Amino acid sequence: MGIFFHQYFDLDIIRDNFSFVLAGFGQTLLLSVVGAALAMSWGLVLALLRQSPGRPMMPVRALAITYIDVLRGIPLLLVILLISGSIPFLTFLPQTLRAPDFFGKPDIFWFGVLAIALTYGAYYAEVYRAGLEGVPYGQTEAARSLGMSHAQSMRHVIVPQAIRRVIPPILNDFIALMKDTSLVQVIGYVEVVRAGREVQAETFNSSALTLGALMFIVFTVPLARLVDRLIARQQAQTRRAPV
Amino acid sequence: MDEPVLELEDVHKSFGKLEVLRGIDLTVGRGDVICVIGPSGSGKSTLLRCINLLEPPERGRIVLEGRDITRARKAELNFVRRRIGMVFQQFNLFPHKTALENLTVAQRTVLDRSKDEALAKSRALLERVGLADKMGEYPERLSGGQQQRVAIARALAMNPHVMLFDEVTSALDPELVKEVLDVMRELVAEGMTMVVVTHEMGFARDVADSVAFMDGGVVVERGTPEQVLSNPGEERTRQFLGAVLGH
Repeated sequence: MGIFFHQYFDLDIIRDNFSFVLAGFGQTLLLSVVGAALAMSWGLVLALLRQSPGRPMMPVRALAITYIDVLRGIPLLLVILLISGSIPFLTFLPQTLRAPDFFGKPDIFWFGVLAIALTYGAYYAEVYRAGLEGVPYGQTEAARSLGMSHAQSMRHVIVPQAIRRVIPPILNDFIALMKDTSLVQVIGYVEVVRAGREVQAETFNSSALTLGALMFIVFTVPLARLVDRLIARQQAQTRRAPV
Repeated sequence: MDEPVLELEDVHKSFGKLEVLRGIDLTVGRGDVICVIGPSGSGKSTLLRCINLLEPPERGRIVLEGRDITRARKAELNFVRRRIGMVFQQFNLFPHKTALENLTVAQRTVLDRSKDEALAKSRALLERVGLADKMGEYPERLSGGQQQRVAIARALAMNPHVMLFDEVTSALDPELVKEVLDVMRELVAEGMTMVVVTHEMGFARDVADSVAFMDGGVVVERGTPEQVLSNPGEERTRQFLGAVLGH
């Protein structure tokens, strides 16, 4: 029992490496927030392209659907490796894109963020689609009957209502996204899992990884509860709504 | 004689194999109030949706103020809808906007009115429909009758030349019907051109210049309220009125 406890919960190792692991978790949060912000925006663009009306927009819709299918169908790890191992060699790109260092963050951070945004954008596009389709058709009719164009009715009437509906599933996907940022360590970025692994390799002890797991849980469990509460509130509203 | 505001010629509309409108002819003069009655499924709602091109008709012609709008495309479509206001059975207010914002949004985006201008217009209209004290409320906090009055004001804010009403009192509790009909009566008194699909026979009798009875996708009979409601010439009209008014 002592060996077990020592292997996962060695308080000395946890204390000595706390600030290192915490700094790693800070990078995890940064990857998550920047990645999610880009993924949410890109996902909305994809969803709107997918919903664009009329025959002339057919190729656009087909392209959006293909993109969403493909990016949901391949592992994020593969996308990370593909991007980080290829973009530096695309000599037709300007240097600032081949070796991005915006806001003082290294290129591997931005490659990781890009891979997350591209992949999760596809997931978010499907979430937004459900939200857009869930807005009653009467809303579109009302907007159009007032003379609004498709774009105007989307912007002022449909999208604001859709976003309200999809906040819970978006947050849910954010939990998954946050955990998946740990994949960026394979290209050398030190986030919380990488930090814990380095301590593990030095000490032959897993307590720093346990600490990393606890940090995740402190964040993800309250987030999951929040999602539950938002869903319960929406369901109560739906029950109250007439007809 | 004045040129008619709205002219429908042989309008057809199908959904898949179901032929909902089978050749509608209808002329609406300026200031006319036409009430359209008929059993459910007779195509009344579809007729209104064809008039403002929410549903494009497959055959026939729709002429609005002398302009053939049947094949209207984008920019022209928006021209049509600016001149035709529509009020729906289910109100269709924007639930994320207050009563006031429901009125301002299209004025700002479609008509490019300034914020002050849109607000002044909206306040005046909400006052006119008796909702001066509800301007800041969201639709879910309003009764059905209040919501429908906001919806009427929202359509009026665009200065339409024709108003279409699609069974606007059918979703209301009986005690809320009158407040909505009163607003409509005022519009009639002001000379608004209106096409009203309704089950309110009393309203039709009081305010309509003419009543059209629809069944099976055609106008079976049209005449003054006196003719159609009291002395219908067609057997189908008689049966329908018997079922509605009889008991």
